[in-house]
Amino acid sequence: MDAVVAGFKSAHPGVSVDVFRAPTGELAARIASELRDGRIRGDVLWLTDPLSIQAYAAQGLLFSWQPAGAAGIGDAYRSDTYWGTRFLNMVMISGTAVTPAPATWKDLANAAYKGAVGIPDPGFAGSAFGALAYFAQNPDLGMDFYGSLKTNGAVQVQSPDEVTAGVAEGRFKVGMTLDNSARTAITKGSPVALAWPTDGAIAMYSPIGVVGASQAPSSAEAFVEFVLSDPGQQAIAKTGWQPMRSGAGGPAPGGPQVFPKWSDAFAQQQKLLTEYRAIFGG
Amino acid sequence: MAEWARASLAARIALAVLVVALIGWPVARLIGVATETGLASVAATLTGSLAQSAIFNSLWTSALVALLAVIAGTSAALVTERSTVPGRRALRLGLLLPLLVPPFVSAYGWTRAYGQHGLLDQATGLSLPGVYGPLGIILVLTVASTPIVWLIVAGALATRVEPDLERAARASGAGSRETFRTVTLPLLRPALLSAAMIVFVFAVNAFGVPAVLGTPAGFATVTTRIYQDLALSADPAAFARATTMALGLVALALVVVSSSDLLLAGRPAVRTALPAGGRVDGRGGWITAMLLGGAIVVAAIVPLGALLLTALTRAAGLPPVPANWTLANFGDALESPFLTGLAHSILLATAAATLVLVLGTLAATAIRGRSRWLGAAIAISFAVPGSALAVAMLLAYGGWLRDSLAIILVAYLAKFWALGHRQLAGSIDRLPADQLRAARASGAGSLDALRSVAWPILWPSIAAGWLVVFVFALHELTMSSLLYGPGSATLAVVVLNVQQLGDPTVTAALAVLLTGIVVLAAAPLGFLRWRNEGRHRQQGDRELP
Repeated sequence: MDAVVAGFKSAHPGVSVDVFRAPTGELAARIASELRDGRIRGDVLWLTDPLSIQAYAAQGLLFSWQPAGAAGIGDAYRSDTYWGTRFLNMVMISGTAVTPAPATWKDLANAAYKGAVGIPDPGFAGSAFGALAYFAQNPDLGMDFYGSLKTNGAVQVQSPDEVTAGVAEGRFKVGMTLDNSARTAITKGSPVALAWPTDGAIAMYSPIGVVGASQAPSSAEAFVEFVLSDPGQQAIAKTGWQPMRSGAGGPAPGGPQVFPKWSDAFAQQQKLLTEYRAIFGG
Repeated sequence: MAEWARASLAARIALAVLVVALIGWPVARLIGVATETGLASVAATLTGSLAQSAIFNSLWTSALVALLAVIAGTSAALVTERSTVPGRRALRLGLLLPLLVPPFVSAYGWTRAYGQHGLLDQATGLSLPGVYGPLGIILVLTVASTPIVWLIVAGALATRVEPDLERAARASGAGSRETFRTVTLPLLRPALLSAAMIVFVFAVNAFGVPAVLGTPAGFATVTTRIYQDLALSADPAAFARATTMALGLVALALVVVSSSDLLLAGRPAVRTALPAGGRVDGRGGWITAMLLGGAIVVAAIVPLGALLLTALTRAAGLPPVPANWTLANFGDALESPFLTGLAHSILLATAAATLVLVLGTLAATAIRGRSRWLGAAIAISFAVPGSALAVAMLLAYGGWLRDSLAIILVAYLAKFWALGHRQLAGSIDRLPADQLRAARASGAGSLDALRSVAWPILWPSIAAGWLVVFVFALHELTMSSLLYGPGSATLAVVVLNVQQLGDPTVTAALAVLLTGIVVLAAAPLGFLRWRNEGRHRQQGDRELP
């Protein structure tokens, strides 16, 4: 993110960029309070997952336009108010000493890993909610998949990073985490391996959009254009995330990618979380 | 006396204005948001099964934390202040240690020390089975809040409980247990209630500890539930739910605070002598000191050590042996705009601690003996979870103060006022009015009277209160992460940047740095206390041969 902003500043020396960065909950709370005080104060919203931005789009808070860079982005990852900037792939991770490594999502329910499966809590992490939505929407897996994980003694922790750390430290044998988190740990030398599910990593994306009430719309648009442009996508690739546009470099997907239907997930948010809580508590 | 009455009236008016500005107006804006969708949805939120289990969990864990912390903190205070066990000064500093460690750091340290695959597990194959779950939450919060109780009770032992009365009881044939039960305990009662109340409210609005330790056990509290709703609060209904739950905590705090205030009947005590060591313990003293020291090591020092080892290890999951050691994690933690954030946080913490003491003195003077509701009002904002209080501040003052250090300071003052007030109220309530009058009658000006009579009694509470608020403000992550803007980033922002790296070894490095900074910042105060104790003891020796 810092690298992207630095790249934008050198391309547009006349525009100043102030970043307010916060976890999803704090950011959403700040926006909610700003809305009650008149309008969203920022010019650009760049979020981790598509869930919140859909809500802002539905409330008519985003500016509708067509960036030139949007052409390179797949239909599943864009709308007319926001566009994907990078992929977050929910994958599996296992300890290097763990054999066999899991191959498909259902393997996490394998008795070989009993009591040693870590999953991120969809109530805390947006990416984990994306996974919940995908599993629930897939008739082959459904909420029963979470039931079988629970039967297998799976443990929920707050974030994908905590799953990665838990597998590295031996608290879990296998788990569900983001590809970037697993790669960072592997690069540093943690005893973990990335297990790309053969039935597909759950691909989510970080959306970006321009705030409708922006006081500097042309600068805001310029920023979004930059993030979606080749130099912007290359800057993202250098931070270790998979950029939205193929050909910008960065880590290539290690297998098939599948994606949740976000518009359905958005409508079912409460229902899915309630069903999940009935299984895992919290 | 007319002069006093006028001053007291002015203080009460100033106080009322401040209470409204810092607490009343922001909380009113919060109520506005919670009731936006109608009272029916407020009721539905609070009576839903998810909310009820969270409220129940928060209540019973916090009540246990308050009980355990009061027992631990009071026992520790009796050992360090009422006996002559060896190594008392070191024990006192050790007792303050958990205060200097942010609770979420302490939670992480406990899992690294006593959890599955933690240090203890690796060394002996033993681990604490319940560290993830209510047991771990209760233990870590008890450790974190014991220093608060210890400070309050030690202050009360120094200013309220009369060594002469205790000696008289002993001389009249009462055993040490009977003396404690009939003399010390009744005199301590107000301090104990006040400490229990602060700890209860502190535990109810703790977020980091239940989030780290409760999630794996599926154990939700009100604060984790609020955070989950905030994460969904792009949806206005979820935002309203979060504010409703936050207001539920406000109501809870009001009930607890006003009932504990009702139990307090102010009876001024006359101070007759400087505190001095009670009984001299021979071998028993060593055993007591070892037990207390051992508890400090297990509860605070080992988890910090485990964290330091994690911070020094190249990557998570590698054995923490010298071959895997590196300082790179500290480099990563320092890479972000660390120094700017640190400077802002120290500035804010200093300003907040100083102003909170002024506010606390004002409140304690003006409230003396009446308007208990004001005391309860001050405690409200301490009970509001940081995220909700920050939202309230944005709603109330975002228009003028947005993105400035000032709005963070206002939030800190509202949040920590209760800490300063409670710390001082006990001591000020018990200022010997007749001695003040005697000083005035003997020709001392009001300032002289304050300096010679009030200051010696108040200063331990003032120093302790300042330190507590300073440390809390320096640790504060939630409110400033919501309120900061360009040019007013605090340490919280650094923490977020590092957490976004997502690497537990770097997070551990940052946690160690954060703790180290607080220890360094608190060191001058510890030194003052140390020196002053030395002086007191000499005086005591002279006056009470």
